[in-house]
Amino acid sequence: MLAEHGPDAMIWAGGTDMTLHWQREKVSPTVCVDIRDVSQLDFIEVGNDAIRIGAMTALATLERAAGRHHILKMLSDITKLMCTPQTRTLATVGGNMCNASPAADLSPAFVALDATAVIFGRNGTREVTAYDFFVGVNRTAVAQDEILQEVTIPLPSDGEIHGSYRRIDRTVVDIALVNGSAAVTVGIDGVISKVGLGLGAVAPIILNAPDASAALEGTSLADVTRDKLAEVAAIAARHAKPITDVRASAGYRQDMVEVMLRRALEDAITNHGGKLR
Amino acid sequence: MTVLKVNGRPVEISDRGDRTLADALRNDLGLIGTRVSCAEGECGSCTILVDGQPSTSCLMLAQQAEGKEITTIEGLADGDNLHPIQQAFVEEQGFQCGFCTPGLIISAKAFLAENPNPTADEVAVGMSGNICRCGAYPYIVKAVLRGAEKIRAVALAAE
Repeated sequence: MLAEHGPDAMIWAGGTDMTLHWQREKVSPTVCVDIRDVSQLDFIEVGNDAIRIGAMTALATLERAAGRHHILKMLSDITKLMCTPQTRTLATVGGNMCNASPAADLSPAFVALDATAVIFGRNGTREVTAYDFFVGVNRTAVAQDEILQEVTIPLPSDGEIHGSYRRIDRTVVDIALVNGSAAVTVGIDGVISKVGLGLGAVAPIILNAPDASAALEGTSLADVTRDKLAEVAAIAARHAKPITDVRASAGYRQDMVEVMLRRALEDAITNHGGKLR
Repeated sequence: MTVLKVNGRPVEISDRGDRTLADALRNDLGLIGTRVSCAEGECGSCTILVDGQPSTSCLMLAQQAEGKEITTIEGLADGDNLHPIQQAFVEEQGFQCGFCTPGLIISAKAFLAENPNPTADEVAVGMSGNICRCGAYPYIVKAVLRGAEKIRAVALAAE
């Protein structure tokens, strides 16, 4: 249908962002492809090597999945910051991804967790990393004749992963002024093997920071200090290219993204049982 | 025509694809108890139940409701007998101007279905998707707590 109708056809998932875009005349579709009730895309699957979340999983469903895995608990806590209970029943994980707001709440966590987006098209499925999924404001790697099928979060085979998400807002319904997420994998030898970072609302896309991640990788969990995490957060914050808008100034965002990342890293280390000095 | 099931009855709305469910409920069906204030999914005035789940009807296309069970404020009372939550809002004066009240009562119904015996703090979080511009929040929390008591009493009596 998408291929047949071309750019005038738009996918309607939960519709909570699309209805607003349409009412504000940011989009003017002639055909809405309603995928809300495609139950094959509504699933959360916890495996040994990955957690798979279907694109049509409602935020309210993700919110209720907290007990199934500690990473789902992290994502569940994020959904509680998003919109309102009665909008979370409509809004979907895939819709939130595809709307590609730079201030989206789940996206920095998906980037930090090194998640993969599985995209379905006429030639089957293809995968892109969460980092590469976001191309610009409201723009993603999904082509006109494709849809997002699921998000896959890899789980380590030889260790454990913990993460955290931090943001600045005024009230619960607010959009994040700035946010940051961290995910830290510690091997069975007690050494940090992988660090993922996601910076939100400081660029048109969700940023990562491979140099900052590398600065922490290879460190023993027992050797991690608050100063070390502050240094890592400072390296990561250099990637930020914030703008001034109605919500916050560029300078405030630049300062705060570092604080958000530092706190997210501290949370992740603490969740591993690390003692911060 | 598109057939919706609203408050237990099949009803017809036009096939227009360019309307929200809130508009269809109010304009086609005359169910004006569902209020629209912000029309952006922030204020909760337009909250209805879709298959039992609280949903902002201002952010749903009318056609997306096809095949679902819709409950609006008009579907809560049993004839002249108010729903226990409606009765509790009257008794605790959980409103001032009343504009937001239908949305609050529907939200309370969904919240209490999931948490039948909440604390006041849990009520405040559970009802956080509904804004009352009169600021009647302390009375609303009391009304929801009293509604919970009434529903539990009804359930006990039925056992």
